[in-house]
Amino acid sequence: MTTPPPSEAYHFIKTRTASVPRLGLILGSGLGGLASKIENRIEIPYREIPGFQSTHAVGHQGCLIFGSLEGVSLVVMAGRFHRYEGYSTQQVTFPVEVMKLLGIEELVITNASGGINPQLKVGDIIILRDHINWLGGVLSPSRKMNAQEEWNLATHRHASDFYSRKLSEQALGIARQNDLPVFPGTYLGTLGPTYETRSEYRMMKVMGADVVGMSSIPEALMGKQLGIDPLVLSIVTNVATPDQQNIADHDEVLLVGQKTSVFVEILIRNLLQSL
Amino acid sequence: MLDLYDKIQDACRTIRERFPIKPKVAIILGTGLGDLTEEIDVEVTIDYEDIPHFPKSTATSHRGRLVCGHLAGVPVVAMEGRFHLYEGYPLKLITLPVRVFKELGVELLVVSNACGGLNPYFNAGDLMVIEDQINLLGDNPLIGINDDRLGPRFPDMCEPYDQSWVDRTIKLGRDLDLTIHKGVFVAVAGPNLETRAEYRFLRTIGADVVGMSTVPETIVAVHCGLKTVGISVITDMCLPDALKPANVQEIIAVAGRAAPNLQAVVRGIVQEAGTDRIA
Repeated sequence: MTTPPPSEAYHFIKTRTASVPRLGLILGSGLGGLASKIENRIEIPYREIPGFQSTHAVGHQGCLIFGSLEGVSLVVMAGRFHRYEGYSTQQVTFPVEVMKLLGIEELVITNASGGINPQLKVGDIIILRDHINWLGGVLSPSRKMNAQEEWNLATHRHASDFYSRKLSEQALGIARQNDLPVFPGTYLGTLGPTYETRSEYRMMKVMGADVVGMSSIPEALMGKQLGIDPLVLSIVTNVATPDQQNIADHDEVLLVGQKTSVFVEILIRNLLQSL
Repeated sequence: MLDLYDKIQDACRTIRERFPIKPKVAIILGTGLGDLTEEIDVEVTIDYEDIPHFPKSTATSHRGRLVCGHLAGVPVVAMEGRFHLYEGYPLKLITLPVRVFKELGVELLVVSNACGGLNPYFNAGDLMVIEDQINLLGDNPLIGINDDRLGPRFPDMCEPYDQSWVDRTIKLGRDLDLTIHKGVFVAVAGPNLETRAEYRFLRTIGADVVGMSTVPETIVAVHCGLKTVGISVITDMCLPDALKPANVQEIIAVAGRAAPNLQAVVRGIVQEAGTDRIA
């Protein structure tokens, strides 16, 4: 299945809104609450946008929201596409291409994850410093990349440069000022949709992962390729306890997401103010 | 993807026509372990070709038929010949039989495989009951739109293999005076065997044995709520610092020698399951 060029989606969106968003925000499982806070909003359901898929995951809504927050114009993805839903990497990352065309200069991605690092607690927020990509699939933009864009991924050999230094430092500063449980860490992206076995959790700890989830890396890679250093916030919605059995529950994930979304809102509002 | 439900019904209908008894246990036989079906009082054997939507087997030493009958007086279905990712089959197809067994009313799934031993305390020819698993196949049978009629979107995997059956299997082994270890099975896609560096890696991440099957079937069994007990036959030792080239003849010979032990254990499990209210 070939995706139509992102320009088609861009032109369609332009018939609905003249908004030029400064920042793109992708909201993960259970974090949709923040979407309702957007002012002067215009919502466009994914199913109407050429090239967008429809989301099936519970806790994901499935529309683009244009508007502003703290005086900054933004575009919000309420609901995202996952590899475990059967979508290709290209389909998952297509909205990032469209958001870039719409003019975003910053990309903030949120997700829900499982805590591997035993120091983590439910409700903690990890700012990605690095990731381990076990999602498979090849990043394949729907249009040909120019020389600079080709270079963007190739030159960042130092993981510390992959994610936005500027936004990470700011977010950590905001967390200190507001006493929020925010820490830098490494995110392991897996295909899912099964949760991990106890042995897989033990493996992931040995590998050096702090949190594990099923999303975000493809979108972050696409942002990076298009010249935007992303910021990824990962909310720890359950913690791995491989040595004592504990049943993971998606409803619990959603509930923690809702509670912690207050922290995420504080972080994002303050970040927007400082832009 | 929602057509999976109908495919399961189609396959069930065909099997029920030929074998109207409700099976209590389903058995999946791994490479070189097909002889177990000789223990079964066969009622009917159905070629996979005759079962709608079933995959067709290609691997050497796998036959490709469903043996239906009684083992130790308990109604069973046994898959003689199973399917692997390395053969090019999609995981959804490979795991369809598991869903069919669940729909037929099976209460316990027994999966067996031939594997390489990573834990240096193991020996070629030993059996291992699978306590837990690691999926390094790079794929998952549940990718795609989830059909909520078949199972949850995000299955929990904290106990993929029924722990009480792990304990009971070990006890069975002791009663039969057999070596049965307990350990972690890691599945890789194959079909090449691992390099020495890969064996070191697999050991480091916590695996005791490595194979190219079983994990997809178990994930789907968890998804559809079917209790699973897994038994590995260690057909060669994969010790990276004393690695010899793999000898297929020798591996098959070891599998052949271990087969009677596996048969005895599986027979014991089926017998216990028969006297037991599993669910």
